[in-house]
Amino acid sequence: MADALARVLPATTESPGRPRRPPIGARLRRAALPAFTALVVAYLFLPILVMIAFGFNDIQGRFNYAWQGFTLEHWQNAFNRYPALNDALKTSVIVAGISTVIATFMGTLIGMALTRYEFRGRGPLNMLIFLPIATPEIVLGASLLALFVSAGVARGLVTILLAHIMFNISYVVVTVRARLAGFNRALEEAAMDLGADEWTTFRKVTLPLIFPGIMAAALLAFALSIDDFVITQFTSGRTATFPLWVYGASRIGIPPQVNVVGTLIFGTALLGVVGWIVLQRRQLVAPPTRTDR
Amino acid sequence: MSGWLRQHRALVPYLFLVPGGLWLIIFFLVPVLAMAAVSLQEGTLGTGFRLTFNFGVFPDTITRWDGQLIRSLQYGLIVTLLALLIGYPMAYTIAFRGGRYKSILLLLVIMPFFTSFIIRTISWKFILADDGVVLGSLKDLGWVDAGFRILATPAAVIAGITYNFLPFVVLPLYVALEKIDHRLIEAATDLYASRLQAFLRVTLPLSLPGVFAATLLAFIPAVGDYINAELLGSPGETMIGNVIQRLYLVNNDYPQASALSLILMIGILLSVFAYTRLLRGQELTG
Amino acid sequence: MSDERTRLERAIARALRDDRISRRSFLRKAGRGGLYAGGALSLPAILAACGIGPSGSASVAPSSVPVGGGEPSGTLIFANWELYIDPDENDNPANSPTLVAFKDATGIETTYTENIIDNQSFFAQIQPDLEAGNPTGYDLIVMTDWMIGNMIRLDYLESFDVAQNVPNFVANAADKYKDPSYDADNKHSVPWQSGITGIGYNPALVDEEITSMAQLLDPAMAEKYSGKIGMFTEMRDSMCFALLLNGVVPKDATASDVEAARDVLLAQKPHVRGYFGNDYVNGLSDGTLAMTMAWSGDVFQLQFDNPDLRFVVPEEGAMLWIDNMAIPKGAAHPNDALAIMDYVYRPEVAAQLAEWVNYICPVPAAQDIIRQHADEAESQEDKDYLAAVAESPLVFPTEEMLSRLYSYKVLDEAEEREWNEMFQEVVQG
Repeated sequence: MADALARVLPATTESPGRPRRPPIGARLRRAALPAFTALVVAYLFLPILVMIAFGFNDIQGRFNYAWQGFTLEHWQNAFNRYPALNDALKTSVIVAGISTVIATFMGTLIGMALTRYEFRGRGPLNMLIFLPIATPEIVLGASLLALFVSAGVARGLVTILLAHIMFNISYVVVTVRARLAGFNRALEEAAMDLGADEWTTFRKVTLPLIFPGIMAAALLAFALSIDDFVITQFTSGRTATFPLWVYGASRIGIPPQVNVVGTLIFGTALLGVVGWIVLQRRQLVAPPTRTDR
Repeated sequence: MSGWLRQHRALVPYLFLVPGGLWLIIFFLVPVLAMAAVSLQEGTLGTGFRLTFNFGVFPDTITRWDGQLIRSLQYGLIVTLLALLIGYPMAYTIAFRGGRYKSILLLLVIMPFFTSFIIRTISWKFILADDGVVLGSLKDLGWVDAGFRILATPAAVIAGITYNFLPFVVLPLYVALEKIDHRLIEAATDLYASRLQAFLRVTLPLSLPGVFAATLLAFIPAVGDYINAELLGSPGETMIGNVIQRLYLVNNDYPQASALSLILMIGILLSVFAYTRLLRGQELTG
Repeated sequence: MSDERTRLERAIARALRDDRISRRSFLRKAGRGGLYAGGALSLPAILAACGIGPSGSASVAPSSVPVGGGEPSGTLIFANWELYIDPDENDNPANSPTLVAFKDATGIETTYTENIIDNQSFFAQIQPDLEAGNPTGYDLIVMTDWMIGNMIRLDYLESFDVAQNVPNFVANAADKYKDPSYDADNKHSVPWQSGITGIGYNPALVDEEITSMAQLLDPAMAEKYSGKIGMFTEMRDSMCFALLLNGVVPKDATASDVEAARDVLLAQKPHVRGYFGNDYVNGLSDGTLAMTMAWSGDVFQLQFDNPDLRFVVPEEGAMLWIDNMAIPKGAAHPNDALAIMDYVYRPEVAAQLAEWVNYICPVPAAQDIIRQHADEAESQEDKDYLAAVAESPLVFPTEEMLSRLYSYKVLDEAEEREWNEMFQEVVQG
């Protein structure tokens, strides 16, 4: 029914007459949702603020949880005090980047096959995709370790990658599917009616429209990979990723340099956001569109 | 190439499935099946494990750890509900009221999760410490008595898990809400529905695929989580993940650990199927 | 499953992974009687390949020929616990002055990693390789005494002749560390550092002086500090404390003693804040814990930040643990491992380590060297610090204290399983 309505209704939405100032009650109600969102964002950021603050803590011993004074020292030696920390960070980023790209690619393909095509084995396939999400990470990790050992594969960067791609595929499929499920084929049909062949239709109509969904899935995959602990612990051998290194350090006392690195990661993400805004404003990057445009 | 594709049109979906499907079979299915085989074994690390088809391990394990299993499911449910209650309005605000700032807001939701969750959880441990910034001040003011604590209680563990999985809830909800055609809602209001009715009768049902995905992405890992229970909880909050970890790494009791993992998986799957039936969705098994 | 079949399957599994196998060597490894038909694909063989197979005396190659007596290769891969070696000015243990001096003395370049967080998880990481007969990638590891006992039983460690290969140990180590119960004649390990598991407490939060185990474990007394008491997640530590409370010498504990110990712990459980690993130090420092099981070296170091903190060996006794250097089977550079074992038993090297690590030094002669360093020290701060190290009973325990310290019981597999299950009831049940 939603499809039918969408086809029939005109695209105009202007309402006539001068806009009047709504009464205060309605304004408060309207403000409720954005206020709530702001609160939640603040709540999400609270531990981050603590992390940033304690990167400046002038600690005397090895414990960093009571404020003892301000210092920039940790910022100065953030990357040469613990070389293992740098290596761990590099490893995390590399693994996250590669596994995101590969898993998003494979996962999107599966998502498209599931929502747009008829084929046999849909049930078992759904099961296969869903099970890694339903499996506790510790099971995934331990079973993979057994696989790698019996295959004689040395654990390290490669095995971490293999594991991360595996669990990312499922998350990508689930996320992309939610977007593809309601995809309006009418637009594709319209394009083809207008003479475009399948490949051009895909490139110029389908892909841009599902791109936000793919980006959301890629973001999720990246976040999952860079933060993964349990599976990585089992499949990493002697290689350390950032979460593994931090966990090891947390048993003793997380050095402030970790806070500094965490702040830098966060700052980089923030810069990315700002960059995105600026590029959007200058129309260099298209804002996400809805399917009805 | 497109000529070949057109001729073998029926093969296209299978081609799409091969890379990911093969990956999952090799790196997920095979190891897990081997693990299922391990659960039916008996023995120890030193004397070796022999496959004895000891199906008795399953009822034994369930009765031994029923408390932790139930607790994990309970926590999972509470976490999911909380995450939805917090995440849905957020996703709604971003999708419907975000305007030009949609992507930015979304990124704001995800950004804290680019830092290690260990750091975030330790920060929570600091914030919620018995005599820390929050509780210490409240105790000094006399609003809360001296023995009160948040850490090492179920509340802390649930709060921690909810915090960790909030973006996994917000994202799919946003994706589903964002593609809802606003003209449908306008049509509803034109037809004299109140804003609330329009929401309940149009927006909410259309966002259900997102709700479904969000629920799964929160409930399932929440049930199996053990890091939050370990860092923020006391032994009274032991979850099934903690038990499995100890069985694997400390007791080296691989059969029981594997059996328990399978039980957890099956428990989760059953819950999900029940949920799917409830929503009458065809997303997963269709 | 007979030993013969197992040997065959392990040999096949190993052979199938060896790239340079020739047909003849394959047959030789398969043993007399030719190939075991279908053996490689049978479930037991697959499981053996998955690292789940019997081990112990039924192993084939690599053999139990002792290592040592050869030339060091110049490389050493050394895995250790955190904060267990003196770091350089940037707090980087990989460039430890001790390791630098070691290189100057012997020419051996050490790759030092602090991968060991606790015995079980590290063991879980290397066990699949050891079981499959693959090199673990490490030449030297440091494990606690009971884990050494386990690994010896599982035949996961290389053996050596300590008199020949580690002469400094024989010459300089205290008698207490020679021929320990978990490793007869030091055939597989020599101590790295040793320590005491006792009770640490914060007098600011605890009104009375702590002298007895009962104040920690007896619910009638522990109740007073309910919710601020810490115990260890390490089964042996916590169980042995309960055994000591009941007046049982841990080495002689029987099955019923252990059940009684478990009951003690269960009774105490409602008052316990948590069962900790290394992270108990955070609790002790920030006031979350008033009284907790603790390690001597940690409290010694914490006292520099908070001089009030106390560490006590209760009148019922406390546990003495020994972390040992050992060579995992299949290590690529065993002679280099032996070289560093010998090196750290030089008294001046032992002194340097003790000055930083602050756990019990296995070389008594180091005490005088540290006193000498204290005399020669330039700043008053250094003088005080070094004097504190030299005179501390936590680094050089007195005979009286040593008499109240007990060793862990070496458990066989059945016992270990039992103890673990009982303790899991306490910690997670």
